[in-house]
Amino acid sequence: MRLPYPWLLAALGLLVAALFCASLLIGPAGLGLADGLAALLAGRGEAETLVMREIRAPRAVLGLMIGATLGLSGAALQGYLRNPLAEPGLLGVTGAASLGAVAAIYTGLSLLIPLALPLMALGGAALAALMLLGLAGARGGALTLILAGVALSALCGALTALALNLSPNPFAATEIMFWMMGSLADRSWLHVQLAAPFMLAGWAALAVAGRGLDALTLGEDAAASLGVRLDRLRLALVLGTAASVGAATAVAGGVGFVGLVAPHLLRRAVGARPARLLPAAALGGAALLLAADIAVRLVAPERDLKLGVLTALVGAPFFLRLVLSTRRGLA
Amino acid sequence: MTLLTLRALSVRLGARDAVRSVTLRVEAGELVGLVGPNGAGKSSLMRGALGLLPAGGESSLAALPARERARAAAWLPQSREIAWPVTVETLVALGRLPRRIPGAPMTDADREAVARAMARMDVARFADRPATELSGGEQARALIARALAQEAPLTLADEPVAGLDPAHQLACMEAFAALAAGGAAAMASLHDLGLAARFCTRLVMLDRGRVVADGPPEAVLTAARLREVYGVESFIAREAGALVIQPLSRSR
Repeated sequence: MRLPYPWLLAALGLLVAALFCASLLIGPAGLGLADGLAALLAGRGEAETLVMREIRAPRAVLGLMIGATLGLSGAALQGYLRNPLAEPGLLGVTGAASLGAVAAIYTGLSLLIPLALPLMALGGAALAALMLLGLAGARGGALTLILAGVALSALCGALTALALNLSPNPFAATEIMFWMMGSLADRSWLHVQLAAPFMLAGWAALAVAGRGLDALTLGEDAAASLGVRLDRLRLALVLGTAASVGAATAVAGGVGFVGLVAPHLLRRAVGARPARLLPAAALGGAALLLAADIAVRLVAPERDLKLGVLTALVGAPFFLRLVLSTRRGLA
Repeated sequence: MTLLTLRALSVRLGARDAVRSVTLRVEAGELVGLVGPNGAGKSSLMRGALGLLPAGGESSLAALPARERARAAAWLPQSREIAWPVTVETLVALGRLPRRIPGAPMTDADREAVARAMARMDVARFADRPATELSGGEQARALIARALAQEAPLTLADEPVAGLDPAHQLACMEAFAALAAGGAAAMASLHDLGLAARFCTRLVMLDRGRVVADGPPEAVLTAARLREVYGVESFIAREAGALVIQPLSRSR
C-alpha cells in the first residue's frame, strides 16, 4: 500500500532534517553532541563555535540546497522530456558552469579574486541558458532542447579538456581535476550567500511547472490543447535549471547521479505524477546529497574523498539495479 | 450556436499545402465526420483550427488565448501518448485541468465528470491500474475518456476509433453522438465510412487539402465520389433506415 502523499512528504522532510543534524555533528574536530549544539546555538566555546557556525553549518546548508536543486531539476527535466533518463547535466548547464570555473583556475583569476571561480561558473551557466534558448527557440520541441543540450555539453567538455591539455603547470591541472570531482569541503557562508538567491529563483521557476508537466503526460499536442503554454514552460525550465544547477555547480563542482536517481527512487511512491514528484524529488535529492556528504567524511576522513566521486560510485551500481528491475517489470 | 468558424484556413507542412483555404462552421448539436484518404489534410485541418499548427486564414478557436481555448474545445490527438505509469483515473482527470484553479484540489463536479467519462468509455474498472499496463485499445479508450472529461462545448478527435474492437467503436461513436444530442458538438476524422454514415449528422470530405463535399452522409458518400476520391468501388445500401457502406475493390 502506498503512503498518502502528505505523509510521504512529511517522512522525507523528517529524513532530511535528521541528515541535516547528522551533517552538523560529523567532522574532524570530533565535537560531542552536547558541545556541538551548545556552540552552534549558544556560542559556547570560541573554537567550537567557529567550527560549528563557520565550517559545518554552511556545509550542511549547501548540501541541503544543492541536493534539493539536483532532485528538483532532475524531476522537472524528466517530466518535460518524458524520459526517466534525463538529468540536470543533460542541458549542458553543468558543463558550461564547470567550464567557467575551469577558466577561472586556468587563468589564475581564482587565486587573485576569491570569488572569481563561482562567479565565472555562474557566468558560464548564464551563457548556456542563452545559447539553449537561442538554439531551441520559441517553437522548438523537447527533442530540439535535448539536442542543443547535448551539443553544448560536448563543446564545454572539449574546451575543458583543452584547458587541461594546455594547463600552464601541473598544479593548475590537478586543481582543475579535483574541482571537477565536486565537493562541499571548506565552503563558507559567502558561498551560501552567492548561490542561494540563484537557487531560490530557480526553484520558484521550476515549482510552477508542475501543472504543465502533468499535462505533458499526454504528449505535447494534447498538453497544448489543455491550455499549457509550452513556450513558457520551456522558458521556465531552462531558466530555472540554469539558475539553480548553475549556482550548485558554481559552489560545489559537478555532483552526478543525484538528479537522476532521486526522481527515479520516488516516482512510484507519488504514483508517477510529475507535479507531485517535484517536491518529493527535491527532498529526496537533499537527503541523498546530505547522506553522501556525511559518508565522505566517515569513510575516509583523512583522504578528502570527493563528493562527486562518491555519488557516482554509489549511484552507478544503484542505477544498474534500477535498470534490472525495470527490465523485470517489462518482461 | 456556432462553436467553430474557419475562414479560408490554410496549413503548410514543409513544402506541402496540407490544407488549402477551408471555410466551414460547426454548430451546436452537430457530429461532424471528417473523411478523406490518407494525407488529405484531416489532422492538419483540426490542428490548424486549434492553433497547434501555424495556419493562414481565420479560426475562431486559434484566435482564443490558450486557457480559454482549452475550455472551448477538447482535442484528442492521433498519437496515443501516455508517458508515465499514472493510474487511469489520474489520466482521465487530466482532462479537468483547464477547469481547475491551479493548485486547488478537484471539486465534486470534477470527480463526477471523471467518473462519467470513465463509465462512458468502459474504463472505470481499470481506474486504479497504471494506464501504461493496459492494452492498446484500452489505452485508447482511457484517452477518449480524458477528452470527454474535459466537457468542452466542442470535442475534436483524430481517428478516435482506430484500434478499438467493434463494441467499443460503437461506444465511442455513441459518446460523441450523445455530446451532440446534449447541445455540444464533436468533429472526428474517420476512416470507417460505415461508422461515419451511421452516426455523423454531417460529413466533410477532404481531398488534397480541399473540401470536396460537405453535407448529410447520404449526400456525401455516393459511389461516384468514393470512386473519385478514394479510388474504390463500394457497396452502398440502406438497412433498417441506416446507410451501409462497404468498399469492395479498388477502381482502375
